[in-house]
Amino acid sequence: MNNQKKQTKDFLRQYIDPERIEKAPEGFTSKVMTRIQLEKQPSEVAQNVWRKNSVPVISGAVILLLLAAAFLMPGRESDSMALPVLKLFKNIKSSLPEVNFSSVFSLTLPSVLMYVFIGIFVLTLFDRALYRIFHREK
Amino acid sequence: MDYKGDIYYIEQILAGNSNSFSYIVDRHKNKAYNLAFRICGNHEEAEELAQDSFVKAYRSLGGFKMKSSFATWLYRIVYNTTISHLRIKKKGVLSLEDFPADATDFIGSNTNEEEAEREYRSSLVNFALQKITEEERGLISLYYYDEMSTDEISDITGITKSNIKVKLFRARQKMQEIIEKIEKKKLIYHE
Repeated sequence: MNNQKKQTKDFLRQYIDPERIEKAPEGFTSKVMTRIQLEKQPSEVAQNVWRKNSVPVISGAVILLLLAAAFLMPGRESDSMALPVLKLFKNIKSSLPEVNFSSVFSLTLPSVLMYVFIGIFVLTLFDRALYRIFHREK
Repeated sequence: MDYKGDIYYIEQILAGNSNSFSYIVDRHKNKAYNLAFRICGNHEEAEELAQDSFVKAYRSLGGFKMKSSFATWLYRIVYNTTISHLRIKKKGVLSLEDFPADATDFIGSNTNEEEAEREYRSSLVNFALQKITEEERGLISLYYYDEMSTDEISDITGITKSNIKVKLFRARQKMQEIIEKIEKKKLIYHE
């Protein structure tokens, strides 16, 4: 087996000359460099921390804004998530021991779900928009 | 001008001097081109693929770990770029009949007999290379033309050392069969 292996190896060595390599055509380097000029500096890309982290930072900011809006902007008097919070603040102002915590937990499930779905929808749209902006060059 | 080493130029590029990449291209272009050519067997495609590989290398320079060899890293890009290009393209299979029976077809105006014979052998190898798989072509090229060890080939291709030995053995056998068949055909033609 070993002999057969060596024979086969030797056989190919008779035909392959390592000195005889195919050389790159004339102007190869300048063609590559022309293409490179159109590319961004890799160091700039690597060092641009803001660009790397902008998507999660912006997304996080939008989530916080949405949560704040959900709590602080009451729609209807009866179906507002902000109402229990506002009541809580009023209670704190008047008398601390009289705070009624049960009103905070008395939120009905459908009203919360509505905000969640709207939030997901807005975030999805936002994510698509950001993806388009930051992947345009590719 | 003396070449100051791959790492020196890579640091220059990462510091913002993109023109330093031309020294790296100049240094490695022939080997990169040769590898692409041996795998794809076509000069135009090889040029395009070698260029693509250099552009990819430039883009990913930030991720290159300075501890390892730049040449190995670059050849890995060339190998993967060429193999994946061919897998998408899938060439038609050549038949032995496609190889001209008369060796003078390769010699052309070459009057030097020794050089003509070398030319013929080179064409024979290129033809046999096209009859094996793209992966085998890559292994043969790295092993015979670049004279790399199985360790280095393993670094480039991601194939285990033992698997490389098996694949190289099979590729050699296939090529030997093809070359022998063509040589026989040539003898019959000249008789």
